[in-house]
Amino acid sequence: MEKQKLVVIGNGMAGARLVEEVLNRGGGEQFDISVFGEEPHGNYNRILLSGVLSGTHDQDDIYINPLEWYERNNVKLYAGVRAIGIDRRGKTVYAAGGHLVPYDKLVIATGSVPFIPPIDGLHDNDGGLRDGVYAFRTLDDCTNMIGRTDDVKDAVVIGGGLLGLEAARGLLTRGLNVHVVHLAAYLMETQLDSQSGDLLRETLEQMGVTFHLEKLTTEILGEDRVTGVRFKDGTEIECGMVVISAGIKPNVDVAKISGLNVRRGILVNDDLSCRNDSDIFAIGECAEHRDVTYGLVAPLWEQASILADRLTERNPGARYFGSRVSTKLKVMGVELAVAGVKEPRDEQDEVVTYVEPGRGIYKKLIVRDGHIAGAILLGDGMSAPRLLQAFDRDEALPEIRAEMLFPLSPESVGTDIESLPDTTQVCNCNGVTKGQIVEAVNGGHRSFKAVCDATRAGTGCGSCKPQVQAILEFAADGLVAEDPSANYYVPGVPMSKPELAEAVRSLELKSVSSVFETLADGREDAGSKVGLASLLKTVWGSEYEDERDARFINDRVHANIQRDGTFSVVPRMYGGITTPDELRRIADVAEKYQAGMVKITGGQRIDILGIPKEHLPDVWRELDMPSGHAYTKAFRTCKTCVGTDFCRYGLGDSTTLGIDIEKRFQGMEMPHKVKMAVSGCPRNCAEATVKDVGVVAVEGSKWEIYVGGAAGANVRKGDVLCVVDSPKDVIKYMGRFIQYYRENAKYLERTYGFVERIGVERLRQIIMDDSDGVADGLEADIQASVDAYFDPWKEEGAKPVHENQFVSSPVAVSG
Amino acid sequence: MTTQTQAPTKTTSTHCPYCAFQCGMNISGEPSDAIVIGDEDFPVNKGALCLKGWTSAEALAHPERLRAPLIRGSDGRLRAASWEAAMDRIEEAIRDSQAKYGPESVGMFGGGSLTNEKAYLMGKFARVALRTPNIDYNGRFCMSSAAAASIRAFGIDRGLPFPVEDIASAKTILLVGSNTAETMPPIMQYFGRQQDAGGRLIVADPRLTPTAQRADLHLQLTPGTDAALANGLFHVMIMEGLIDEDYISERTVDFELAKASAGSYWPDRVERITGVPERQIVRAARMLGESRSSAMILTARGAEQQAQGVNNTLSYINIALALGLVGKPNSGYGCLTGQGNGQGGREHGQKSDQLPGYRLLADPDARRHVSGVWGVAESELPMPGPSAYELLDALGQEGGIRSLMVFGSNVVVSAPNVVNVEAKLRSLDFLVVGDFFLSETAELADVVLPTAQWAEEEGTMTNLEGRVILRRRAFDPASGARDEMEILRELAQRLGRGRYFDFESPEEVFDELRRASAGGPADYSGISYEKIEKSGGVFWPCPEESHPGTPRMFVNGFPTPDGRARFHTTGHSLSAEMPDTEYPLFLTTGRVMAQYQSGTQTRRIGELSRVAPNPQAEIHPSTARSYGLEEGARVELATRRGSAEFEVRISPGIRHDTVFVPFHWGGRQAANRLTNPALDPISRMPEFKVCAVRIVN
Repeated sequence: MEKQKLVVIGNGMAGARLVEEVLNRGGGEQFDISVFGEEPHGNYNRILLSGVLSGTHDQDDIYINPLEWYERNNVKLYAGVRAIGIDRRGKTVYAAGGHLVPYDKLVIATGSVPFIPPIDGLHDNDGGLRDGVYAFRTLDDCTNMIGRTDDVKDAVVIGGGLLGLEAARGLLTRGLNVHVVHLAAYLMETQLDSQSGDLLRETLEQMGVTFHLEKLTTEILGEDRVTGVRFKDGTEIECGMVVISAGIKPNVDVAKISGLNVRRGILVNDDLSCRNDSDIFAIGECAEHRDVTYGLVAPLWEQASILADRLTERNPGARYFGSRVSTKLKVMGVELAVAGVKEPRDEQDEVVTYVEPGRGIYKKLIVRDGHIAGAILLGDGMSAPRLLQAFDRDEALPEIRAEMLFPLSPESVGTDIESLPDTTQVCNCNGVTKGQIVEAVNGGHRSFKAVCDATRAGTGCGSCKPQVQAILEFAADGLVAEDPSANYYVPGVPMSKPELAEAVRSLELKSVSSVFETLADGREDAGSKVGLASLLKTVWGSEYEDERDARFINDRVHANIQRDGTFSVVPRMYGGITTPDELRRIADVAEKYQAGMVKITGGQRIDILGIPKEHLPDVWRELDMPSGHAYTKAFRTCKTCVGTDFCRYGLGDSTTLGIDIEKRFQGMEMPHKVKMAVSGCPRNCAEATVKDVGVVAVEGSKWEIYVGGAAGANVRKGDVLCVVDSPKDVIKYMGRFIQYYRENAKYLERTYGFVERIGVERLRQIIMDDSDGVADGLEADIQASVDAYFDPWKEEGAKPVHENQFVSSPVAVSG
Repeated sequence: MTTQTQAPTKTTSTHCPYCAFQCGMNISGEPSDAIVIGDEDFPVNKGALCLKGWTSAEALAHPERLRAPLIRGSDGRLRAASWEAAMDRIEEAIRDSQAKYGPESVGMFGGGSLTNEKAYLMGKFARVALRTPNIDYNGRFCMSSAAAASIRAFGIDRGLPFPVEDIASAKTILLVGSNTAETMPPIMQYFGRQQDAGGRLIVADPRLTPTAQRADLHLQLTPGTDAALANGLFHVMIMEGLIDEDYISERTVDFELAKASAGSYWPDRVERITGVPERQIVRAARMLGESRSSAMILTARGAEQQAQGVNNTLSYINIALALGLVGKPNSGYGCLTGQGNGQGGREHGQKSDQLPGYRLLADPDARRHVSGVWGVAESELPMPGPSAYELLDALGQEGGIRSLMVFGSNVVVSAPNVVNVEAKLRSLDFLVVGDFFLSETAELADVVLPTAQWAEEEGTMTNLEGRVILRRRAFDPASGARDEMEILRELAQRLGRGRYFDFESPEEVFDELRRASAGGPADYSGISYEKIEKSGGVFWPCPEESHPGTPRMFVNGFPTPDGRARFHTTGHSLSAEMPDTEYPLFLTTGRVMAQYQSGTQTRRIGELSRVAPNPQAEIHPSTARSYGLEEGARVELATRRGSAEFEVRISPGIRHDTVFVPFHWGGRQAANRLTNPALDPISRMPEFKVCAVRIVN
């Protein structure tokens, strides 16, 4: 079948849209399509011109269909060619440049032209607008205006309607002083009532626009260049440019010349055909349908869609019944939406208003038969979508009209646990309600873990845990129990430390794997291994059966791994005292193995950093000093002051005691690292009060023992455990405390947490008063550990246990 | 002190029977009292489970479990029978249909919960044993739009082209049409980590779902307006210069087309279409655009289950490409797959137009390769058949399917417009359904075959990340049940095609699948059970034994002819059915946490039924007031297809113009009595997510 010829006059928002809609319906197969466009561009989005003017949109970004689109779709575009007339009998369009284009179906979409009011001094000699005076209609108008904004300071916009205000705001953002001249008593009088019009003016005034209401412009002033405008009342304002935005009128020239029925616009039927020619159609701003011409894009596109349905016979019976018109003002910082009528028709119409002038808020709803007849929404962007959608769809309104004037759903509501209903789902993963959690708590599940186990709340993604905890606290009313698992020594074995130590002893479990095998159903938990190893060493001393995978890298190579994968070596210096000979050896080793750094540590020793793993055994041998255990969860060092030998204030011999302490507890495995110090007087130069265990000599040859101090990530002053009379007693009670800590602290629990958890009063009872009858056992056990001491750098440690123990891995280990 | 010294019971590491997250779980005990706990070593769920997972073992020894085949007697009732009798009956029916109407008169319908091995066998059985083009599966109702969009844009479809772990590191995430906090709860740990690290989450959904409640920004869009929203975001990004020009010019084509279509979606127009306030559109666009170094866009069924689902998905992909996200670390576009094996199920030939390895049935090279592996002549392979709903719609009709075999799907609950689907199923000469419970579809069957369950079978699944994992067998199949491999093998033997189905184990099937997939887009040839065991899962494509798999795709290029990704023109269209005076509200459907898909399994589990005992219609308080509805009241909803009954749940979190219903129930409670079977022109996805509804009361 031969294709029909479809010709479209007009390449604007309506014409180009129609072509798109026809193509979308497969119309490319039915029609050869030609389009006349007066502007030399492809089709651009006129709606966004105000964006271009105010600089939010780049000119290149507003093209809907660039020229190549027409080629790609086989649409013949006469760009920059004006259609002059139609030979309706010959079914041919005449156009400038002598083009004659025949049609089978013709669509007129010539849009509108700006209404230019009669003002003196407006035109140049050719009858066009003079330099410095612009209509705000086309992309060219827009670029010309932008070109002028650099040269002038003041601009006058004639017309305070939708488009005029958008132009004003655009010029304002370009740094001009902007005056808006408006004939009516308030702005946007076709869409707004006077109250909202005034409120809008105030808002815009705050942005810097100056308004001149009820002013009729009679003359543009200036000879070569525009210098100002004069009003009918004789007043004048100065300006360098004038923008005319006084409304639009349908562009009906071609239709009129060709004998089509025209009133304000081209008269069309419900099928969008012209009254007196059924092969010619008109859509868009040039068309007049049931006494209405439209100036907004939504009705244009509705018409284009319906006409495309008819032309392509996708829906040959499609008809247009008119559009409900609503719009928003595209002015940055102002949220204004308007729909339908602005005033009630009669008393039957219901008017609902909400006004808050202080915040520039004005909301008005005109309800007719339960539906929206009109609405004004100023200063509330969040309510606009629902309101405008309800208007567009002609929805029946809710009985409570206020629901239309306030946002659809509030922003997220705060969760006040007490006021939540019991049916509220708290854990989405497991469908657990507040009521179920409360029930579990009332049923005796009074710890967080017990509640979670009982209800499964928190066992999915875990995000509800804070809420579960809050409900637990609320429901338990102060009777929240500690989790049993909070007392597990390590997570992988469900026992507290004393229980575990007892089981280890009675079942003679001497290796980590035997503990898992016997006490944890054979489930090995990697995170528990190192802790178990520590406990086993505490219990079994030299009988402990070592398994290498139960150690951290530091413990495996008896050195501290560094950021770059090398190790640091810290030899022991009892009490921080050294000799020239030791220093010489340290210097030799550091030089020979090219240590990256040699540093005095905070614990009064010397750290040799940057030793590769494979050199560690050599370094230890050549140093010939004991390991400082700076790398493991163990006793680290005992810091001292210079004590009575040299210091004028010394009350007790802190250096000797410090050395004794260090020799006694060296290398001893602990739940976490343990630092100690001895100060010879209350001036406390060795900072003993912030050590895990600290000793301070006081008046009367007495010694105070502090426990639970810390000065790391946490800072805590130690508690005084006791005051004793002799260094011997210091060693004795210190030993009891240390062993009690070793047996009862959770793995990786520092003394500061442990002392707080148990309470210093309770510790005094156990350690000083022997309230639990464990003192002798503690002393015996610690003595066994002292006896089991060996220097890992000297004995087994220096001989590789497996071939790769001291071989550097190719990739640096990080952490 | 308690000390246990008895021998530990046997524990099997396997995967949850339900969604595509495929949580690792350890199962121990006996089927009757099996205990399931989350597997902390599995890197995806890391030990987390939702209620469905925790209670999954309850289905194993459930009293309603089918333990013998059922045959419909002359009195119309289903009665227990022997396997021999059931298979005789099936063989006879197939031969009868074939003799009277030709091979095309026998059809198959599969499911996205079946293992890769079974999905593969389904496709092969249809083409080789039955020689029918009529096979499709319920994944068509699930993943087809995202799949088609990804193939168009990137040249390949893998739900997430990156591991879920990357979610935790993304700066901004836009989650579209996904209520993953309810439908895939354990994944929320990654969003939680993302937000804890200062990342921002944007959720687009008509409902303030539990997922949306966790968002930094909720875009409460009108159902069916996804493409408008995406184009609006794109428009703002272009306007504000947030797009990545270098990426666009180096790695993509057709940007100008997409830009032109976005040009018509200026923010206040998009506000009007979508109902999302303009300032939220601008804010979302900026949040994404300003996190260009690390942002993700994830879509799910909300945007995809529409008659413009492919277009919607492409519109979001356009944004991901324009921001240069695809192929960058902790960034990109992904789709959150729904069904357990929704990914693998769409790769190995269960789909009407596909062959294994994500090859196309109509592609001569693909036909040559696969027919070679199968040892049949290429000419024997049928050409592509109709898509799922079209297949169901043609059942029993003139020239259509006379006998149908259904495995792993409960279509009278899960298909759209089930009133019609049920009528069509009834018009068949013969229907056989394999399931482990008497599902609503099985109730219509002439023969019902009891099948094995997840913990009773071995096979591979491909999770939402494209990670191929191993479902391990913890127990023998319940007495009387058989798995689909055995069933299809025997039927093939009976039909004289046994030599093509002579598999002794799923691993043997997998080995053939590997060869069949070799060289295809979803290349499994380098994956083996052993390799999965060792690594905790292998990401396809994995073309060599020595290949480590591909966790992150598109790093260097796209598998398109020119190596570039493609933008698409993606305007928004009205939904196939819009509210009007007669049916004034939108209806949208979805899932709830405590039920899964057609509910065949989950409705039978006590604790899940306690949490979600019956379907509730979510209605905005304002709308409920207009209709005089109160919380808990019974309400009848009607559309042009049918009506169904629900309990009212008044929810201020839903749009006032929209009613939400979950689709897990059958009979008068089936949401799919209401849904519109309008199909996407490309993916043939039905429009489950939008239609016009009326409150009848």
